[in-house]
Amino acid sequence: MPLVKTPKPTFAQKLKRFFMIDLIRGMGLTLKYNVGALTDKDAVAGKGIYTEQYPKVRPDVAPRFHGAPRLNMDPETHDTLCIACNLCAIACPEDCIDVIPMDVEIVVAGKPRRKKVLDEFIFDTSRCMFCALCQEACPTSCLELTQDFELATYSRAGFVWNREMLEQGRETVKYTS
Amino acid sequence: MFLFGPIDVLNDLLLKTGLSEDWIKFFVWPLIQIGLVVTLVALWVAYATYLERKISAFMQARLGPMRVGPWGLLQPIADGLKLLTKEDFIPENADRWIFFFAPYIAVASAFIVFSVIPFGPDWAVIADVNIGLLLVLAVSSVGVLALILAGWSSNSKYALLGGLRSSAQMVSYEVAMGLSLIGALMFARTLSMSGIVAAQGSDSIWYIVYQPAGFLLFLISGIAENNRAPFDLPEAESELVAGFHTEYSGMRWSLFFMAEYAAMVVVAAVATTVYLGGWYFPFVNRLQTSGHHNLYVVVSLLVFLVKASIILYIYFWLRWTLPRFRYDQLMDIGWKWLIPSALINIVLSAFAIFVVQALNGWRGITTIDTLDRGLNMTKSGKGIMIAFGIVGVFITAALLARINWRSRDFNLKVQRRNIKLVNVPKGKPAVQAES
Repeated sequence: MPLVKTPKPTFAQKLKRFFMIDLIRGMGLTLKYNVGALTDKDAVAGKGIYTEQYPKVRPDVAPRFHGAPRLNMDPETHDTLCIACNLCAIACPEDCIDVIPMDVEIVVAGKPRRKKVLDEFIFDTSRCMFCALCQEACPTSCLELTQDFELATYSRAGFVWNREMLEQGRETVKYTS
Repeated sequence: MFLFGPIDVLNDLLLKTGLSEDWIKFFVWPLIQIGLVVTLVALWVAYATYLERKISAFMQARLGPMRVGPWGLLQPIADGLKLLTKEDFIPENADRWIFFFAPYIAVASAFIVFSVIPFGPDWAVIADVNIGLLLVLAVSSVGVLALILAGWSSNSKYALLGGLRSSAQMVSYEVAMGLSLIGALMFARTLSMSGIVAAQGSDSIWYIVYQPAGFLLFLISGIAENNRAPFDLPEAESELVAGFHTEYSGMRWSLFFMAEYAAMVVVAAVATTVYLGGWYFPFVNRLQTSGHHNLYVVVSLLVFLVKASIILYIYFWLRWTLPRFRYDQLMDIGWKWLIPSALINIVLSAFAIFVVQALNGWRGITTIDTLDRGLNMTKSGKGIMIAFGIVGVFITAALLARINWRSRDFNLKVQRRNIKLVNVPKGKPAVQAES
């Protein structure tokens, strides 16, 4: 006595199995994709290739994506906007920012004064987790995490960015073809 | 120019170097041919890997390699350079010498076969041996030895399992491969590869229309013989890491890779020679009659390459369509379907030939034209033969479906179904339900 009711195949199902209709349909599907990729036409979405051609075509990252850090400058005078207040270094949970200030002599209303200005800014991207708390802490919108994502380097030392790199940005090869 | 000029131009040049005629005929020319064929096949194998990647990419709506050269055309060269410079690692407890030599056996057995394959007429075939097909089958099965040795010497459980699986698979599919060719050999009446092509030429027909069942059987068992998906159990990634070449790296691994693709090219070339008329193509021999002999040879060679490439495409197509068989299904197909259907095919082909010969001269029907070089049939004879071929496929399939119908009861699928409990009170063991 069979314990399980196995449905008996109908004659049409038997014929389908005998002529391997499902196999032929499967082969047809892959062939359709192959031809579609060659002609860049497809019945489903109107294009044959669905993948992103990364180095050739830059991907659109999400609007909230945080990438490489940058120190913004005054667009007119090209002086740094950083006032060396150290708030970003305090805010950083990973402790990867070092703000090194220096004192300069300035004259305010005819009297000599000392002012704290930015000397060097060290940002260790290998430890950064891109939380952007530093960006939120910055009172002058100087430190900003941009959407640039190509941060790979050949050495560990390369991950430590200094003030010049943060201001100018790092040069990466941009492929066009 | 060489292509349009007579064949003797190069021969005369060689004669001027002071070598005797025998030396040129039996030593210099074969060396030139071997060099050409090895270069051609190596290139073909390299670009088969490229095409495999490209076609798999297209079938998955990707683009595949695009970065090295235009459309990634230099990718095989880059890959080869990378593999050449990689470390050649030998595991500590491996059997060093066997581990060392297994890849060479694989490559040599795949490349030796090309010595008898007729790429074209006249100078495009290295050696026309009168047991060509037998040599192909014998030498290509030595390739299995390489897989087993590689699996055994690696001292790794995955490699050993891959080697064991490959030996079992090869043993079961070798038989079907050999038997499936016999039907075509009944028409060709020779084992020489050039002779088979010439027989198809004098019949002016491709044997695939006489022997569709034989062609299908040869193709399927060829795929299984080459360990390609859906029969790639010896190197099943999801089960055995990489199968028999798990422990190989660098150039030695790439030799296995080359051997796999070369073996694919071998099966494609044999299928082309035996079933697709070799280098014959309609209207190409007009070049011969109009005096362009070398151009004729080159065009024939291209025809051969195109035909074999179509079979290679079927390989890629099947690989990227079908999932891998289970081990019992693999043995099932080999022993229950392919070998019996190859035997039935032999019987049916013999019967067809007998019918055609018996019908000749009966009530004014002429089926046989001449009998001087094999069986040359008239149009009605060909029609009968083609009808027998096509009907034979369905007769074979129906017969085997009928025979194998009950054997499905022994499948794991049904066994699993039987274990499930239906209408049995809870708390009783499953064993009771069997009685």
